[in-house]
This record gives sequence, structure tokens and C-alpha cells, in this order.
Amino acid sequence: MERLSDKLSENILSKFSMDFLRNQVLKNAYGNDDTVIAALDPRILLAWYLFFGLVPWFVNELPFLLGCFLLVMVTTILARVAGLVLFLFALGVFSQTGYLFLVTLLFGGDASAVMPLLILTLKVATISLASVTVFSGLDPDRLSNGLMWYGCPERLSFSISYAYRMLPMLMEEFQNVLLSYRLRGNPPAHETLRGKVRYLIYQVKIIMQSFYPLMLNTAKRSRTTVEALELRGYRYAAVNQTVKRMKLAALKVSYNDFLFLAISFLCVALSVLCCTLF
Amino acid sequence: MNVVQINDLMYTYPGAAQPTLRHLSLEVEQGDFLAIVGNNGCGKSTLCKALNGLIPHFIAGDFSGQVLIDGVDTRESDVGELARKVGYVYQDFENQIVRPTVLDDASYSCLNYAYPDYLERGRTALAQCGLEGREEEYIWQLSGGQTHLLALAGAVSLGPDVLILDEPIAQLDPMHADRIYEVLRELNARHGKTIIVIEHHTEYIADYCKHVLLLKDGQVKWKKPTDQALQCVEELQACNIFPPQVTQAAYQMKRLGCICTAERLPTTVEQGKKMFSQLRFHAPAVLPCEQNAQPETVVSFRDVSMSYRSVKGDPRTVFDRLNLDIRKGEKIALIGSNGAGKSTLMKMMVGLLRPAQGTVSLFGESIADKKAEDLSRQISLVYQNPEEMFIQDSIYADIAYAMKVRGIPDWDKRTEALLARFRLSELADRDGRLMSGGQMRRASLAIGVALNPGVLLLDEPTANLDIATRREIMTVLEDMKDIIQTAVIATHDMQLVCQWADRIIVLCGGTVVADGTRDEVFSRADLAERVGIRPPEIFTMAKALEPQALCYTIDEFTDCFREER
Repeated sequence: MERLSDKLSENILSKFSMDFLRNQVLKNAYGNDDTVIAALDPRILLAWYLFFGLVPWFVNELPFLLGCFLLVMVTTILARVAGLVLFLFALGVFSQTGYLFLVTLLFGGDASAVMPLLILTLKVATISLASVTVFSGLDPDRLSNGLMWYGCPERLSFSISYAYRMLPMLMEEFQNVLLSYRLRGNPPAHETLRGKVRYLIYQVKIIMQSFYPLMLNTAKRSRTTVEALELRGYRYAAVNQTVKRMKLAALKVSYNDFLFLAISFLCVALSVLCCTLF
Repeated sequence: MNVVQINDLMYTYPGAAQPTLRHLSLEVEQGDFLAIVGNNGCGKSTLCKALNGLIPHFIAGDFSGQVLIDGVDTRESDVGELARKVGYVYQDFENQIVRPTVLDDASYSCLNYAYPDYLERGRTALAQCGLEGREEEYIWQLSGGQTHLLALAGAVSLGPDVLILDEPIAQLDPMHADRIYEVLRELNARHGKTIIVIEHHTEYIADYCKHVLLLKDGQVKWKKPTDQALQCVEELQACNIFPPQVTQAAYQMKRLGCICTAERLPTTVEQGKKMFSQLRFHAPAVLPCEQNAQPETVVSFRDVSMSYRSVKGDPRTVFDRLNLDIRKGEKIALIGSNGAGKSTLMKMMVGLLRPAQGTVSLFGESIADKKAEDLSRQISLVYQNPEEMFIQDSIYADIAYAMKVRGIPDWDKRTEALLARFRLSELADRDGRLMSGGQMRRASLAIGVALNPGVLLLDEPTANLDIATRREIMTVLEDMKDIIQTAVIATHDMQLVCQWADRIIVLCGGTVVADGTRDEVFSRADLAERVGIRPPEIFTMAKALEPQALCYTIDEFTDCFREER
């Protein structure tokens, strides 16, 4: 227990560093552009996502859910999603259902609660993994082009790719501001358990405080960006249909896309078949 | 033919009491390479924004007079049209880059203006700016100099006749700076572009520019060919512009009567050779070296290895088994090109980065199991970007913060004293971010010394400053010598290195390639080629005249080279 809490308070700032986070975010966005999933047409992938993101909510048959889950698990592996994202996914899903199971037991439920909870877990997991596949398997530019094809405003797709261009810079700056607090601050002593709790609170507090200088610095820096965007014709492009067509000209549906859809369809069909058989 | 013609331009920013540009008239010929010089706030950037139509189309305000670009009145045109005639590269150029990959960014403007061959244009622009082969790279993989070239390529891709660059080399080491100017010369000579730069580095003006324009209080003082312009030493100095060191030395000698010639003052080392050929070298009296007992070691690196995670592929190694000692009382300059590991070395000393192998110790104790917070009394780091040090809403609070939370007695008095020492008393309530470059830098230094650290680390304290402010900061650093014991400065600024440091450490590819006094480092010819460091111009001048001469300042030069033969 002592060791664990020690580790926890250490971890927040040192091991689990900004540097690590930054690296994971970049890896997630751009580190896997040579995978099978990344090569697919974003429009096909978005349509695929529409199915796997919605249908599981309305179906309660275990074989069907299990089939879908296995399929999205395979696509997630194919997309080579960064470790951090998978960790957050696992933490989210299992803490949620684990907590529900505990509460059920506490209020007089018994093991029969396992089945409905399993179904819920499968639904949540399937939908989350489908999202992870699409949103982190594709690089931001392809994703935003796909969205644009479906008629999302240009502004949204620009924001997505611009956010990814800015994120590394912002995270580095955030890291430095945080370091300013750390270097100049005077953290509470943390030898006792009480002190450790206080130290944890202190760390969370300075993380929150660091956002204030970060926002001001960003505001300052955006003055140039706004002018530069004007010079670089951003406003012209937003209203020009030719530009949109040129951007989307790069999208092509290939043989692989059909193969992907066919395999997905086969999986779903098989699991539906199982549902009717058993 | 005049590509730029300005007739009686008056411009006042919205809400400003005084006009920034007043009765400004100017003609720039097609194919010119023009340097704009002038004081801080004399309207240089405003003038450039009036050329590309941001004024008056994007920034409102009172505008009268006429600006003609290639015969087109900017008021009758629009920003998009003008962007294809005038390209602009900002001083904070990284904020100008909006796309994640190199080719994407270079072709972005062309795509927006619906050129069907936008990718081809992007590629051509990259080739013209010397970035071939990097098309698919992500922008965070580029060095500072390459990022600047990319910003330039983004402007070049639209095929403008005029290119404007606001302080292009302020953040770059000499090698990257040369590269930028070589590219600009190429664009000027081979592709016929008219280049306008706002520039403080008169050495570069002397080497590359054809004309110089002096702005003063929003007016054109004069526009002259470069070698004539740089002769006006007094006039330039009155505007805080310092001519090349060779010119300054000749000017000083002429005034002292050491050389009496009606000839023009030299502006480059080549010209200087002719001018100074009559002088004789007098070796200065060598002060006996004090051979003290070696003082105690403050920081030591033992077999330190360090690498960064990379997005793809293997981690990038920065240091491989580095060994280094820093002793008490030393004033050290850490030099090396961008990306040589200077900042990493500093971050390891304050415990922000942990080495993968080996130990870093501070005052004899390993810092491996210490927290960064606990080290801050002993060692302090001043960042390159002062904005990242402002964590409170006034600089008074910022300077006081570390002392206050530690309950240091009389923290308020000490804060007042520091504010006075760094001449910030009147600005005490201002937010650091809203101050000028020099004030921000002074505030960050005050924050750095607040806890009286045994070791002070400064990352690029003079980067991004104009020459006048740089001098001011150099005086402050000189002045600080007696309140700090041991200090390490990472910098590209060789004048600062020569005047300030008593020990120079040269980093290259993660190893120490040279370590010693300025004489030991600068007299090694192989280093200059290998690492790309360059001594101040006056040092090169003295060397050209007399291979044994080691002069680092203009005063030393005028002392060593005196009577005529």
C-alpha cells in the first residue's frame, strides 16, 4: 500500500511525463500511416463506422455482439493503435462495468447479473474499438477529407488537421510552464501518507494552474497565424467549390476497400446466422 | 521599372494617437535586394504590412496616400490578389505554418487559390528554397532553419515578384543563417525576385544586400547603396544600428588618427584587408595565467547517455557516454549548432530529464533520486522563451513566487531589490507577456536569480533580440557576474561568448569536441568547419592580417594594430 501510493504520486509528474504523452499523441496520429487500415478510403471507413458505432446499441444477441467485438478487435490490431489509447480504453470500459457489478452485489444482486453486464460491456467495447480504429487508425488529414466529402463544413476539417499540427507545440509549451511551477514551487513534504495525499493534490493543482499561462501564450501566438491564414488564402478556399473538389480528388476507392467491406459483411452475416441457429 | 512605389503614405493604427508612418515615399526597383533598418518601433513591420495589403484590408486604421505594387493600387486590390505579388515571412515564422507535412504546407496557398498544379508548384518552391527530399517529412522533424525555409517556400510557391522577410535570422545559428541568405541571393539573382529584408545584422547586409533603407520615426531618412549606407556610422548608431565590426574599427581608428585616408571605410573583411594592410601588429602583453588550485566540482556528468523517443523507428540518441565537469566560479559558454544537445544538457542538470545511463551529480551528490523541486535552491534554469516563465499575472508576483512559497524572510524586500536591479520597478504590475523583448528577458533573469542559486543556467539569453536590446542584456549579464557564482550560457551569439565566458564548451553530435578558453577554441581551424561556429567578424579580420592575432573586440583590435609601417 505504502509502495503503491508512493508510486502513484511519483507517477503523475515524473514517469507519466508530458514527453511521453506528446510522443503517444503523435504516434497515434502519424506513427501508423503505413497500416492496412490507414490505406483504406476514409469514406468507406466512415460508413463502416456508422454501422459498428450504432447497430450494437440496438441488438442484444450475444453471438452477434461477440462477432462484432472480435472483428473490431482485429481491425484495432491492424491499425496499430498507440498503447496509451488502448490503456485508456481498457481502463474506461472495465472500471465502468466492474463498478456496476460491485454496486449490483452491494444491493443484493447475485451472479445472474453477470450476463446483462457482459452484454453491456461488449456493446461499449465494440463501439469504442470501432471509434479507435477509425479515428486513430486514419491520419488526421485523411479523416478530415472523408468528413468533408460527407458535407461537413471546411472549418471542421481544417480544425482537425490544424489541431494536430499545433498539439506537439502546445504540449511542449505546457510542459515548460508546468516545469516553471515545479522548479519555483515548494511542494508539501510527502513522507507520511497524509503528506502524500497533499502532494498529490498539489500536483493536480499546479497542472490546472498551468493552463492559464498556456492560454495567454497561445492567444499571443495566434495573432500571426490569423494574419498568415488570410495571406495564404484560407478564406478564399472556404467558399470556393473548385478547391473542395481538388482536395477530394485524392480520394479513391480501391480493391482493398471492397475486400474490407466484404470481410466485415461476412463476419456480421456469420454472427447473425449463429443468432438464429442457437 | 519600380515594382514598389509609395507616394506620401500616412498610416495610423486604430486607437493610436500618433501616425506610425508619416509622409512616407519610396521606390523599389525590380530585382533589388533591399535591407530596411531602423529603431524599434520606427514602423518597419507596419511598412511591410502596408505592402502586402494587410494594411488597410485586414488591419483598419487611418490610411492616406498611395501604395502601388507592380502598378496596382493596394486599396483597389485585395489581400488574395496581393499575396500573389508579395510574399511575406513573419519574424515568428513557425506560427505561419499551418499544415503537418512539408509538401502540404508549401502547396497550401496554391491549393487555396485553386491552382490545379498546386503540388507541382509546392515542389518547385521547395526546390528553390533548398528543401528537396524533405517533402514527406513532418514539420516537427525540421530544425529551426529548415522551418524558416519552409515558411519561405510557402510564400515563394505563389510566384510573387516581391518577397519580404521580417528578421529572417534572429533565431538561427550562423550556418543556418548563411543558408537562408544564400537561398535569398539565389532567388534574387536567378529568379529575379525583389527581396526586402528587415535586418539588424549589418554583416549580412554588407555581404548580401544591394540597398539599405533607413527608417526613422515613420519616415524614410534615406535609401543608399549598401557600401555608402554603412559609411554613415554615426547616423546608424544614433538609431541603434551597429555597422559591421570592421567598419566600426576603421571608423574608430580614423577618429583616433591611426589611419588617415580619404578612402571609404571597409564594410567586409575583404575590403578591410586592403585598408588595414599598412598597420603593424603589436602583440598585447600577456597576463600571467593564475594557476589556482582547482576549485571544487559543482556539476559532473559521468558516462551519461540520453535519447529521445521518436514517433517512428528507433529512439534518437543525443548523448552517448558523456563526461563533463563544471567547477565553482566558472563562467561557461556552451556552443554548438541547433540540435547539438545544449538544451538537453541543461535540462539534465536541473533534473527535468533523466539520463538513460550514467549519473549527473550536483555538489557531489547524485541527483537521480532527487526531485526537481528540491534542486531549485542550488541550480536554476532560465528558458529560451521567457513567456514560459511567467506563471503569475504580474512580474512582481512572478519574481516573488519562489521566495514567497518558501517563506524566505524579507521576500518582499528582496523582490523590490531585484526589480530595481533589473530596472523593472515601474513595470512591476504588468503582465510579463505584454512587455517588450528586452524587458521580458530582464524579467526572466530576475526570476532566475531570485533564489540565489549556486549555479545559473541560461538558454539563449540573447536570441530573438535586436542588436540594441542584445547589448543591453549583455550589460545586464556582465553586471550579474558578481551575484552569481557559477553560470552556464547556451548560445549562438559569439560576441557574447567572447566577451563574457572564461571557458567554452563546444558540443557536436552529442560529444564535447572542444573545451577551453576562447583562445584555445577559436584558434582551432578544424572546429569552425566541423561544428559551424564562427568567431566574431573582428576576430576573422585580425587573423587575416596577422595569423597570430587573437582579437575579440573592436577595442582589442585597435590596441593590437596601431602605427603605420
